[in-house]
Amino acid sequence: MPWLVAAVLIALVVWRMAYLHQVNPAFDVAFFGGAFLRSFQLGSLYALIALGYTMVYGIIRLINFAHGEVFMVGAFVAYFIFSRTPYTWPWAVLVSVLVAVGFMYVLGFWRGRLTDPLVLTGGALAFLASTLALRSAEYGWFWALVSSMFVTGVVGVLIDKVAYRPLRGAPRNSMLITAIAVSFFLQNFGILAFTNRQTPFRPDSFWTGFLQFNVPGGTLFTTWMVVLVPLVTAVLVIALTLFVTRTRLGRAMRATAQDAETAQMMGVNVDRVIATTFLLGSMLAAAAGVMWGMTFGSINQPAIFGILPGIKAFAAAVIGGIGSLPGAVIGGVLLGFMENFLTSLFPRTASFPGITEYKDTFAFLLLIVILLVKPSGIVGEDLSEKV
Amino acid sequence: MKKLFVLLVVALMGLGMAQDGPILVGVNLELSGRMAVTGNDTLYGIQVAHDEISEVLGRPVELSVCDNASTVQGSVACANRFVDEGVVGVLGSYSSSHSIPAAEVLQDAGIVMISTGSTNPATTQIGDYIFRIPYTDQFQGRVAAQYASEDVGAQRVAIFRQQDDDYSVGLAGFFQEAFEEMGGETTVVDFTANTVDFSAQISNLRAFNPDMIYFTGFCAEAASLVPQLRRQGFTQPILGGDASDDSQCPEGGGEAFDGFTFTSFGGPEILEGEAGERAAEFVEAFEQQFPDATVTGFTLSGADAYYVLMEAIERAGSTDPQEVRDALASLEGFPGVSGEITYVGTDGTPANRVMGLFRYDVSGDDWEKTVIRGISLN
Repeated sequence: MPWLVAAVLIALVVWRMAYLHQVNPAFDVAFFGGAFLRSFQLGSLYALIALGYTMVYGIIRLINFAHGEVFMVGAFVAYFIFSRTPYTWPWAVLVSVLVAVGFMYVLGFWRGRLTDPLVLTGGALAFLASTLALRSAEYGWFWALVSSMFVTGVVGVLIDKVAYRPLRGAPRNSMLITAIAVSFFLQNFGILAFTNRQTPFRPDSFWTGFLQFNVPGGTLFTTWMVVLVPLVTAVLVIALTLFVTRTRLGRAMRATAQDAETAQMMGVNVDRVIATTFLLGSMLAAAAGVMWGMTFGSINQPAIFGILPGIKAFAAAVIGGIGSLPGAVIGGVLLGFMENFLTSLFPRTASFPGITEYKDTFAFLLLIVILLVKPSGIVGEDLSEKV
Repeated sequence: MKKLFVLLVVALMGLGMAQDGPILVGVNLELSGRMAVTGNDTLYGIQVAHDEISEVLGRPVELSVCDNASTVQGSVACANRFVDEGVVGVLGSYSSSHSIPAAEVLQDAGIVMISTGSTNPATTQIGDYIFRIPYTDQFQGRVAAQYASEDVGAQRVAIFRQQDDDYSVGLAGFFQEAFEEMGGETTVVDFTANTVDFSAQISNLRAFNPDMIYFTGFCAEAASLVPQLRRQGFTQPILGGDASDDSQCPEGGGEAFDGFTFTSFGGPEILEGEAGERAAEFVEAFEQQFPDATVTGFTLSGADAYYVLMEAIERAGSTDPQEVRDALASLEGFPGVSGEITYVGTDGTPANRVMGLFRYDVSGDDWEKTVIRGISLN
């Protein structure tokens, strides 16, 4: 039955594309191909953000409304890193300390404790590498991405520690309101730290540069970002899946998601599991923030940068089934297609006003439809798959 | 008895204060939010003018600066605050969307308002207490259409319009009207405030195949839009309105803004003779006081709003709102730094404003604003 629905939908899309091409030859293969690639790119970004919502919800049943602002912090930290290279010594040391702490945190979870010799060595090496990189003049998107992920990861863990951990036993509404407070705090902190204005974001001319190639039936205009974004997303999602399924800490996460109390009784350090969840979710959001900036060439004012992407990624997590990792990815990509590919099937023509201007509506339209038809989301039914 | 005496003295002092105390002038501007850069440019202009003339009628002038945070609600809140404070006049705001609702409040309260940036015709039509420094979009749209059809030779123009802004919708409408009268063809592409992703709108544009693109919005969105247009292979010339006179455009959008043309207020480069000297003098004073800030048309406009209000108070000889308004309405040939200002026989929009056509030249991180030519209203 689902296959039949899919076949009918695809047939409808193909028919619509053929019809549009007949109306105006400018709607050619390249036009829809470009929309398809961009949908995938945008969907990947939503998926990365949605993973953070879904993981936190899976573990502590909290809709983390501050997650959109974590995404903002990720983008601005990266901007701060690459726009100021080469750094002066104090800045280089400060950022390197944060990167090293983040690195030790990740490694520490793996090894069990932070004073492990391997963890200390790793932290020292990360500190050295980061300082050297920040002091050198060339600091491209890759290092900006990696450093921003670690720094933002630390920010995420701090948010949990300061705002959510003291409220562990409190009613869930208190946590929800605290999340909103954290969101406003980060917005205003962003204005103070980065000034509230449109900021350029062009760390690399290769990936973000103008690109055109001929396809049968037209010219496709794009940038290499349509390749880079899904690629980085795929790598990160695979790494996350491996972490969750193959490591002890990942197993502890799944156990906590199923039943936190029992997991604790079985010897799982729940606080550490929750901190890891925030660390990973924030790192993914930071990666999304950096690539978002590269995709669109500039980043908004901090006050609004995270709001719309954050809410849409939240919708994506609910559409996919909140609490489920594959659900978040599916929901994100689906939302990207709704927003970009589907609206490109209804462009402005002489007789039709076009719906691209209202594309933000479709994210939420899809959310309503999914909630009506399948309230648990597309893949959200299987409770044992939480996390 | 002694208590009563003290009370009497205090009351008398209070009365004396009310007469010789500072004259309060409200400043309603976008100091944070998406239009913050232009709002601050305007405020700097007002501050330089305030430093030059800090006393009128023998009383010091005090600025009551209110940040409307680039929102309609903020602008109305500022207007209400000024009514409570009993200011003599209000300068600002920059955008039409924020000027119109504030004007409604101030007109009801009978307080003079001089908008520093609003170009939508509706603003001054709200009442007889509302004035402005710039021209209207009826003029700006016509000038832009003329430039598009004569200088660029465009036949088909795509207009990017910010749906939720009075200035943008108004300017797009006037341009469309004028350009279609000249025999051109247009299409309107809508977006809302804070849009970042223009990819769908841009790729749909390919079916229209424009010769030129006219952007009527603000730099908060243009900084995202213009690089995306260039990346999608649109090499057509882009023309902007006066809201593009904002350093966020070339700084946020980078080299994509190289060659971006826009219409804006006249500065020292455009004004001729005495007016030009006045403007150059002002710019010099400004650069001494704010070496890091840039002078835009809105800086000069802010300064002129202040000068004009001071002149009106001086001529009225009092701070009575009715008398200040009448003095303002009878102003003729006032030597401002953005050209001469005449309110006699107008609805609050000065007659004979000078407009300029500018271009951004960007290479790497450096950019400059070049004058193409000045345009007179006649």
